[in-house]
Amino acid sequence: MRSTVSRRAFVAELGQSSFAAGLLLQLPLLASLAGCARTTGAWKHLSPSEAASMRAFAAHILPSEPGMPGAEEAGAVHFVDQVLGRPFFASLAPLIHDGLAELDARARTAGSHRGFASLSESAQIDAMRQMERQPFFAAARTLVLAGTFADATYGGNRDGAGFTIIGMHHEPAYSAPFGWYDAEAAKHAGAA
Amino acid sequence: MIPSQRAYADSDVVDFVVVGSGASGGVLAKELATSGFDVVVLEQGPWERPQDFSHDELAFERELALTNRAVEPTQLYRSTNAEAAKHNAGRGLVYRRSVGGSSVHFAANYWRFRPIDFAERSRWGSIGGTGFADWPITYDELEPYYTKVDWEIGVSGAPGPFDPHRSRAYPMPPVPNKSSGVLLERAAHALGLHAQPAPLAIASRSYDGRVACQACGHCFMYGCEYGAKGSTLVTVIPKALATGRCEVRTESVALRVDTDARGRASGIVYRDKDGRERRQAARCIVLAANGAETTRLLLMSTSPQFPHGLANSSGNVGRYIMFNGSATTTGRFEHPLNEYKGVVDTRIVLDYYDADPKRGFYGGGGIDARFRFGPIGFAVNGLPDTVSSWGLEYKRALRDYYSHSTQFMSHITSLPVATNQITLDAEHPDRWGRPSFCLTYQDHPDDTKAKLWFRDRTHEMMQAAGASDVWDQPVLPIDGGVHLLGTARMGNDPRDSVVDRFHRAHDVPNLFICDGSSFVTSGRGQPTMTIQALAFRAADHIARFAKSHAI
Repeated sequence: MRSTVSRRAFVAELGQSSFAAGLLLQLPLLASLAGCARTTGAWKHLSPSEAASMRAFAAHILPSEPGMPGAEEAGAVHFVDQVLGRPFFASLAPLIHDGLAELDARARTAGSHRGFASLSESAQIDAMRQMERQPFFAAARTLVLAGTFADATYGGNRDGAGFTIIGMHHEPAYSAPFGWYDAEAAKHAGAA
Repeated sequence: MIPSQRAYADSDVVDFVVVGSGASGGVLAKELATSGFDVVVLEQGPWERPQDFSHDELAFERELALTNRAVEPTQLYRSTNAEAAKHNAGRGLVYRRSVGGSSVHFAANYWRFRPIDFAERSRWGSIGGTGFADWPITYDELEPYYTKVDWEIGVSGAPGPFDPHRSRAYPMPPVPNKSSGVLLERAAHALGLHAQPAPLAIASRSYDGRVACQACGHCFMYGCEYGAKGSTLVTVIPKALATGRCEVRTESVALRVDTDARGRASGIVYRDKDGRERRQAARCIVLAANGAETTRLLLMSTSPQFPHGLANSSGNVGRYIMFNGSATTTGRFEHPLNEYKGVVDTRIVLDYYDADPKRGFYGGGGIDARFRFGPIGFAVNGLPDTVSSWGLEYKRALRDYYSHSTQFMSHITSLPVATNQITLDAEHPDRWGRPSFCLTYQDHPDDTKAKLWFRDRTHEMMQAAGASDVWDQPVLPIDGGVHLLGTARMGNDPRDSVVDRFHRAHDVPNLFICDGSSFVTSGRGQPTMTIQALAFRAADHIARFAKSHAI
């Protein structure tokens, strides 16, 4: 799949819109959420239908594959549900709620009255593409990515799913050789 | 948690109050206390312990946790005085608020300046629209203090082909090379350039009671839980406390420098952790709060005698701010590099350090190999434009690129321009009642040309290193940064500088200012080594003046 929005334009949108900049500034404040519990039961700040839509949205940002987790296995939607209830995300919550509502509205237009999550996968992707340039999309995408890759204390990145996705051997410390090129250089230096 | 230390009363007239416990303040406190003086350090942030540090990207890598940006309501920005200032949605002025200051979370690159940095105006000539000037000191005067930094802070490294004279060898060998360092060496060799080990304030072996680097991969924007990175928190500040003549008073926010009828500094008014306004009396004040905070404190310290702020008869407090430019190219390679491991950078190329008239503009710099992304940052905006931004292709690209990519980054001069300036914004007071910052900044045309020229160099180097996919980061106008340089510049002439060659304020005989604000020119990035060499030198002279009753 190729995005209709160029990466650079996307980054520019994230970096320059006052909303997105606000989001980026707020992300680190999530540090204070270190006590976020894992949520496996009822949703806290998303309605069940919103959670279903957010979950489907997340699954298209980072789809699951056989043997390789995605945003779903990482529990990214639970991260989003948790952080939307915090005071410093108050300004973001309406955008997310409105965006999820618009996804549902697009589903109704497409003939489904049971919401975005009930659409076929291809119809879901079409609806997301239509919203790619909206602030909601950038915000929701960033939240999904943060929920997938952030420290597990925030409720996502379950069982290190994010580290598996990105190919990182996550350890508190490492020792040389670190990568293929320094290992090769060390071999040749040793041989010399 | 605050360690056991000497406690002074506000009413004690201590020898020195040092404002700031960062790269400069920590050194000054240790040196002055060791010289036998009573020292109170006012630090606006808390006292952290290395064992409390974590690898929490969400908290730290976005540059906010424990920085000023986490507690400020806003900072304003405009490119010129003709514009209305707006909320700075970009980077702004960034520094850490905790004991050790930004030395806690810096990348620890410890390049020395070269002799040319101190006398470049004489060699190059004037540059229109700038206050380009020679420093009032030379490299040779500062060299013993660079060496002192090497040994007291603990710098690992090895000599390079362009190094200036050094009076003593590095105390530690370089840290192990990373794959990105090997690739930078490969590029340099292919292009006839020279890669050398990066000098780092990171222990490559156990040093001075600290353990060696554990290559955890979390230097920049993180505190080092192992204590291997040479922040002042783990190097000089413990030694300052051990003298029994130094108190580091945390969560103490300086509000103004008081002066007496003779125009001498008499104390510091500050707000303590309980919000109470207090005053610490002192015989001498030393400001080492960084180029932004030092500016704010001076401009807040108005009085009938100093209506435009303290030490500001030149009008240059806050002016000439320099951040250092940068330009970056990213490349993906066939085999894994795993750049999330190890220190930020292990090799540098300094062939382009000197400005060269043949380039058609003023500007020089150095290039290192580093990868600035944690997983969140890389997922948000680390991939090239050619890759989609969500979906299966995107997800697979994250895996294909994250462990296989690195960046070559240039660190470049910025010119001192009088209209590039920090002023105060009283409309947005912070929680302590202090005005916020308004940054007026526009890259000098030569700075822009330098960034574009260096981007071409990093691009060709990435290609020469053999990257299979090469893409440049956009070269954007500067709207802030972590190098806060030049705002109380050093000089011999009180009409166009704020402090003299010994860091004494021209206007106030018992006020010294020593941090990034003292810089006359920007160097080529990596200013901390020079900030600390200046601090060691300033402390020597200040102690000499104090002992001879010349303050």
